[in-house]
Amino acid sequence: MNQSPDSPTSQKTKRLWLFGLFLFLILALFLLNLALGSVSIPLKDIWGILVGKEGVRESWVYIVQNSRLPRVLTAALAGIALSASGLQMQTMFRNPLADPFILGINSGASLGVAIAILGSGFVGGLFLPALNMRGEFSLVLAASAGAGLVLALILLVGRWVQNPTTLLILGLMFGHATSAVVSLLVYFSAPERIQAYSIWSFGSFSGVNWTQLKVMSLVILAGIGLMALLPKGLNALLLGEDYARTMGLNVGLLRFTILLSASVLSGAVTAFCGPIGFIGVAVPHIARNLFKTSNHKILIPAIILIGAAVSMAASLIAQLPGSQLVLPINVVTSLFGAPFVVWVVLKRKRGATSFNV
Amino acid sequence: MLQTSALAIGYKNGGKTPRVVANHLNLQLNAGEFVCLVGPNGVGKSTLLRTVIGLQPKLAGEIQLSGRKLATYHPRELANQVSVVLTSPISVGAMRVDELVAMGRFPFTGLFDRMTDHDWDVVHETLRVVGVEKLSHRYIHTLSDGERQKVMIARALAQEPRLLVLDEPTAYLDLPGRVVVMDLLHDLASGKDKAVLTSTHELDLALRHADRIWLMNDEGQISQGAPEDLVLNGSFAQIFNRAGVRFDPLSGSFDTQNRGSKPVFLEGQGPEAIWTRRALLRAGYRVEEEKLQAFPSISVITKNGTTTWQLEQEGHAITFASIYELLQELRN
Repeated sequence: MNQSPDSPTSQKTKRLWLFGLFLFLILALFLLNLALGSVSIPLKDIWGILVGKEGVRESWVYIVQNSRLPRVLTAALAGIALSASGLQMQTMFRNPLADPFILGINSGASLGVAIAILGSGFVGGLFLPALNMRGEFSLVLAASAGAGLVLALILLVGRWVQNPTTLLILGLMFGHATSAVVSLLVYFSAPERIQAYSIWSFGSFSGVNWTQLKVMSLVILAGIGLMALLPKGLNALLLGEDYARTMGLNVGLLRFTILLSASVLSGAVTAFCGPIGFIGVAVPHIARNLFKTSNHKILIPAIILIGAAVSMAASLIAQLPGSQLVLPINVVTSLFGAPFVVWVVLKRKRGATSFNV
Repeated sequence: MLQTSALAIGYKNGGKTPRVVANHLNLQLNAGEFVCLVGPNGVGKSTLLRTVIGLQPKLAGEIQLSGRKLATYHPRELANQVSVVLTSPISVGAMRVDELVAMGRFPFTGLFDRMTDHDWDVVHETLRVVGVEKLSHRYIHTLSDGERQKVMIARALAQEPRLLVLDEPTAYLDLPGRVVVMDLLHDLASGKDKAVLTSTHELDLALRHADRIWLMNDEGQISQGAPEDLVLNGSFAQIFNRAGVRFDPLSGSFDTQNRGSKPVFLEGQGPEAIWTRRALLRAGYRVEEEKLQAFPSISVITKNGTTTWQLEQEGHAITFASIYELLQELRN
């Protein structure tokens, strides 16, 4: 039994060190992501490109500016958004395995994309330009539409479904229903369209250009901004909704804000990068374990840093530096994420760093 | 402080007729009082508590808190008047005791929960009052059930409520833990302008500690009064007597009804005699007032700090060193 934890002061020092460590990690991963890939670029030239020095090889400048820089920024943003969304869902549903997609946001996005890619075969040309454009912006629109629809549905249903568990079950059922529709579309579709769809469903940080990145970062900033208003409410929810209410909190508004923030965050990521698993469920656990707290005043900054770092690491691994191959991002997150979740579940002492379920 | 008139509590069943748990409740609770709500399991004690603290809508009637209708309170105002300890065990994960108790200051802090020095003073003062200041840097999940319950009481107190409401606060505690908590609650109510309302099915403890008892029966009717009044007017016996169990107004506790049939005489004094009597009752004996040759007679003899039990029956006398040995012999 952990009889006497460190005094609050030494705990504070430890946490400051951790924050510093992750800031350093993020910086290192940022540079490595720019330097490594199918072509390796020396760090000194990376620096040159970043500060706009003359005399760096043209092709390197192009690669960094148009491919690697947007990719690493996308990865960082997506990691932050998914972790933030996952943390809110885990707290709200008091369930350590809740993730950003538990309410079916990604099912909605998948359905949107599936209709855009696969459905175009049936509707006859309605969505065909989308495929021809090859620019994935139409996919982003389709995914956003799907995610947005589910988001609206969640907020609407969340108003009259008081019980979080009921909401959870509704989200799950919705997910099953949409995946059935997607399967149906897949079943009747031509192989090349199926391939286009499954490539989207693997997830990728590479398809986001600068314009899209601007939109994505604005949406994610809004979601994080909303969440920054919530640490008190999220802490109160740790005690349960009844306690939160008797402490004078407006639980209805609180729940609405959480749903809005979490759905916007996960919706934005899914729209631009595809459904990316595991980061959202794993990062909050890493944060709770490292910082030894479930206090959201500490957890929120912690998951922002850890989320960015983990996601950038996944992006780096997916590039398989030194080879021409690129792994789908979901392969990387799941390959590392699944054993991690197993480890968390097996290691978890009753109530130690998470919730009892 | 708290007053209800013609209050009906229960559950609204969608559009159908509501399920009424209790009706026509005219209850009263004054500042400085420690009130225990007692009654058999499932009569609606929690429903009543949840209703008077505004967690559940009432079906009819009126609830007044500090002379004002409960419904007119803004949640935050209400949080300044009433705080609670609910029955469900909490699982907050890794959180220190002082962090948890600091959550009691939520009604006073702003959106970002910035704690002033005064807020921290209140937190430390409540930790001291409840007697858990030594635990303040421990993690919640390392505490025993009794310690955790005290911490939850400290959290509720940090809200500086006028009325503290607790639902079965002793449910997960061992007997000494229950006594400590009930003592604490009684002390909290007395003196200051606070009142404490708790539900419990610890009758013994409620009788001993409560200033007033709300006694709820199966039909949802509540009789109120000092515990002693309710004992003497038979309310207790009426509500809790069931097949085979009897409320004994002399001892203030419950006895099994089937008294022993075998007569025995007991002489002796002090706790030794009292506990011997209990043992004999359990073994199926009836303790007679008169010593007769026809049945066994037991003397409890305490000499030089050691106690022995002497059993005389059919002319023989045997001495035992413990009640257990005495009972063994009687059984043969």
